[in-house]
Amino acid sequence: MSFLVRCPNCGERSVYDFRFGGEVKARPAPEASPEEWTRYRYAKQNEAGEQLEWWYHRLGCRQWFIARRNTVTNVVSDTRLP
Amino acid sequence: MTRLFFDGRPIETRAGDTVASALYRAGRRIFSRSFKYHRPRGLLCVAGRCPNCLVTVDGQPSVRACVTPIRDGMQVRHQNATPSLEFDWLSAGKWFSRLMPVGFYYKTFTHPRAWKLARQFIRRAAGLGEVSHVATAVPDRYEHMHNRADVAVIGGGPAGMRAAIGAAEGGQRVVLVDDQPELGGHLRYQRLAGVEQARGLQERVEALENVEVLRNASCFGLYEGTLLGIVQRPPVSGAATNAAGDAAGGSHRSAVEERLIHLRAERIVIATGAYEVPRLFTNNDLPGVMLSSGVERLLHVHGVKVAERAVVISDDPDGGPMVEDLRAAGVEVVAVVTSPGVRAATGGSQVTGLTTTVGHFACDLVVVCGDWMPDAGLVGQAGGRLEWDEPRGAFVPAALPPHVTAVGAVAGVPDQVAGAARREPAQAPGATTSPSPQSFVCLCEDVTAKDVKQAIAEGFDHIETFKRYTTVTMGPCQGRMCQLAAIGICARETNRSMVATGMTTARPPTLPVSLGALAGARHHPTKRTPMHERHEALGCTWMDMGEWKRPLHYGKSDSADGPGGREAKARAVEGEYRAVRERVGMIDLSTLGKLQVTGTDAAKLLDKVYTNRLGDLRPGRSRYSVICDDAGIILDDGTISRLADDHFFVTTTTGNLEFVQQWLEWWAAGTRWSVHVTNVTGGFGAVNVAGPRARELLQPLTDCDLGTRAFPYMACRRAEVAGVPCRLLRIGFVGETGWEIHFPAEYGEYLWDLLLQAGQDFGIRPFGVETQRVLRLEKKHVIAGVDTDATSNPVAANLAWVAKLDKEDFIGKAAILEALSRTPRERLVSFRMTDGQVPEDGAAIVEDGQPVGRVTSARFSFANGKAIGLAWVPAALAADGQEIQVNVDGQLAGAHLVAEAFYDPEGTRLRS
Repeated sequence: MSFLVRCPNCGERSVYDFRFGGEVKARPAPEASPEEWTRYRYAKQNEAGEQLEWWYHRLGCRQWFIARRNTVTNVVSDTRLP
Repeated sequence: MTRLFFDGRPIETRAGDTVASALYRAGRRIFSRSFKYHRPRGLLCVAGRCPNCLVTVDGQPSVRACVTPIRDGMQVRHQNATPSLEFDWLSAGKWFSRLMPVGFYYKTFTHPRAWKLARQFIRRAAGLGEVSHVATAVPDRYEHMHNRADVAVIGGGPAGMRAAIGAAEGGQRVVLVDDQPELGGHLRYQRLAGVEQARGLQERVEALENVEVLRNASCFGLYEGTLLGIVQRPPVSGAATNAAGDAAGGSHRSAVEERLIHLRAERIVIATGAYEVPRLFTNNDLPGVMLSSGVERLLHVHGVKVAERAVVISDDPDGGPMVEDLRAAGVEVVAVVTSPGVRAATGGSQVTGLTTTVGHFACDLVVVCGDWMPDAGLVGQAGGRLEWDEPRGAFVPAALPPHVTAVGAVAGVPDQVAGAARREPAQAPGATTSPSPQSFVCLCEDVTAKDVKQAIAEGFDHIETFKRYTTVTMGPCQGRMCQLAAIGICARETNRSMVATGMTTARPPTLPVSLGALAGARHHPTKRTPMHERHEALGCTWMDMGEWKRPLHYGKSDSADGPGGREAKARAVEGEYRAVRERVGMIDLSTLGKLQVTGTDAAKLLDKVYTNRLGDLRPGRSRYSVICDDAGIILDDGTISRLADDHFFVTTTTGNLEFVQQWLEWWAAGTRWSVHVTNVTGGFGAVNVAGPRARELLQPLTDCDLGTRAFPYMACRRAEVAGVPCRLLRIGFVGETGWEIHFPAEYGEYLWDLLLQAGQDFGIRPFGVETQRVLRLEKKHVIAGVDTDATSNPVAANLAWVAKLDKEDFIGKAAILEALSRTPRERLVSFRMTDGQVPEDGAAIVEDGQPVGRVTSARFSFANGKAIGLAWVPAALAADGQEIQVNVDGQLAGAHLVAEAFYDPEGTRLRS
């Protein structure tokens, strides 16, 4: 794993600068059903292709941002602040 | 005069020698013994591509002698032969080769017991040197460097140099990577090709300021993000740019054994050239059978007269330039034969002749002008592939991505100059005529043409399954010597074309890379608190807590496991304990994670993330809380102190600071809330001054009223202590009246000294982490991450009181509500031992002979006169007074569960 990620603040950096924060998903409302909560907690889309993910620029600006990454090629096509 | 030692005997060398050239000049012909049959092997490629010259250098096994520059005093030892390379008793194995066909392991050791018996013998017999079992310190021998280029050119031969010059003249920043000490590629050793031309190109490269040349640097892999992995071995001074000269990479680098360079490039030019591969005939692996490029290297780079009498195997009937070169060096060329005419090399431990269709020729060298394979490992890794070009009879790169190009011989284009010295590539060995069954296809793993055919006959006729079954291409040469021949035989035996047969997949690393180089230099930071020197002066025993150093207790018990050390520790801890319980003690808390959360929405964020209610916390008050995730798992705990409406001071456990900060920032991300989380851990030092006389000690040092009414339990104030602006938190982790004092770190030693001095009259003692653990355990105060783990929720951990379920929402609320609706599987309980035993942390709770739970913390309680602890037990056992059995040193010992705290259960001392 050695791909590059373009931080919206700092520009292109090695992936080792960053922390992966998982898929972007919507948090259920407090009164949502246990099934919905279970899906939110444990189920992953695991898309073979492009998905939106949280990333954190650990060794840089220390900001969370959202990246569109292709999980097959590791090409990060778009990043933006949330 | 540089000298090296081979098996203890001194060997004279010349400047520019490699280990192999020095040994060859000194008369050595056998360099190794083969993997399986222990056949003698000598120099073959002299370019670091075959497995024949692996030796142990200064304890490091499997070093390629032919590309390892000499160093004075170098200790070189042979491998895989007993007692010596010349007399190896295991070479008897060659007589058993009939009994050890391909797939021998899979067919013979079908029963686990048979394998267990045989492996002891096999592991001794087969091998590539031994890794020393003695752990050796390797200080600073490895380093990593990061580099960027517009264009990376891999290979410093004429094609690579021209590509570098072209790109650099176009204004691009170029890094040229070459694995030799000097640029020039094949021009360096092919004398007829013109050393002059190499020098001319080299001078042009070196005149360009925007070309950085990495010498002695091998590119071993191309990774995603156009990252090239390059390992550079000494001498590495050439790493400096031309412009900067050698100043930047000069002598102070000489201690570096290997440097790993991470090179990012926009474009990559693969100019790795081609290499020569052996031909197949009986005894083609005898020492003295050498590739023509290897002979040229020995002749022209090292000035070694390779032999007295040579036979040249060449498709060029008059032997081409090789013959002239040999004659010029004073070697008698006995005959030139074409490869179809070759029958067998003869000789025992060294070649003594070559039998051909036109007769037998006595000689001490057989020069093999072999076929040329593009060195195309990087082509495959770039996403391209090698395709068999039938008309040219060669593999050529195809399907390369746009940012990668291949030039020179690797692209199947013979260099203009080299063309004179090289033959056009012919058909693969074995592809047209059936090779002699006793010829070795794979030198690394001792696989013969017969083995290869047998594997195909057994059905392993796909190149990938064939590779795995026979282990051809899987040895140290990674297929360089055997791939072409293996494909050739496979194609012929299966009646397929070379194209249809294909090649095995090329993966990094294409060259061996030591684990040390990959790991790099050791950079383990150590964090010291502002009072570190004071603890050292007091003679504390240190413990590591993450990157931090903390006093475990004061006084030395370095051999803490020995009986003497254990007693010293127990005495120290008891003294410190009594000081806190009876008088006053002080502990350095600077390692606590400290966050400042500010902004008008600070309370909103904290209320969302922490389980406790914090929005209604009044300025000047503190609260304890845990953080959970949305599965209700406890992630961390700490105190939150409100210093002003929009200003909170939050502590985290020592190891979780980074995580908690990122967790808070994540939940704030995208909310547009006005909140800012700042890590102030390094800015603040902290101590906890606790004990019945803490107030008497502190009151004279501050104007802040420390009285019970004015400064109650769980209050916080900003105040000066001895003139230092401090944050005082009245928190009772150890269960006594006490204040956490947070102060600017630069006042650490001043305040520490002053408090110890002022505390003399009250019998103050500094105390360490071990004492604190006893004190807090008596109060049943849980440490998140010690008493809880990745499955603990607040309900099971007896911390449900800290989750305010009437809050609108917080992270983990839904999960905690669910947890409350059912009986937890386990509960965190506290116990007191019935007798005098002290269980170890982690000891099993046993019921009916089965482990059903575990102790998380246990210590001897001075207040109870018995050991006490915290443990996870099945919910059915979690009742006050329940008897449990704990495994203490293999024996079961009784204990009772205790619902209330072991010390001051009403908390009156804490609050007084």
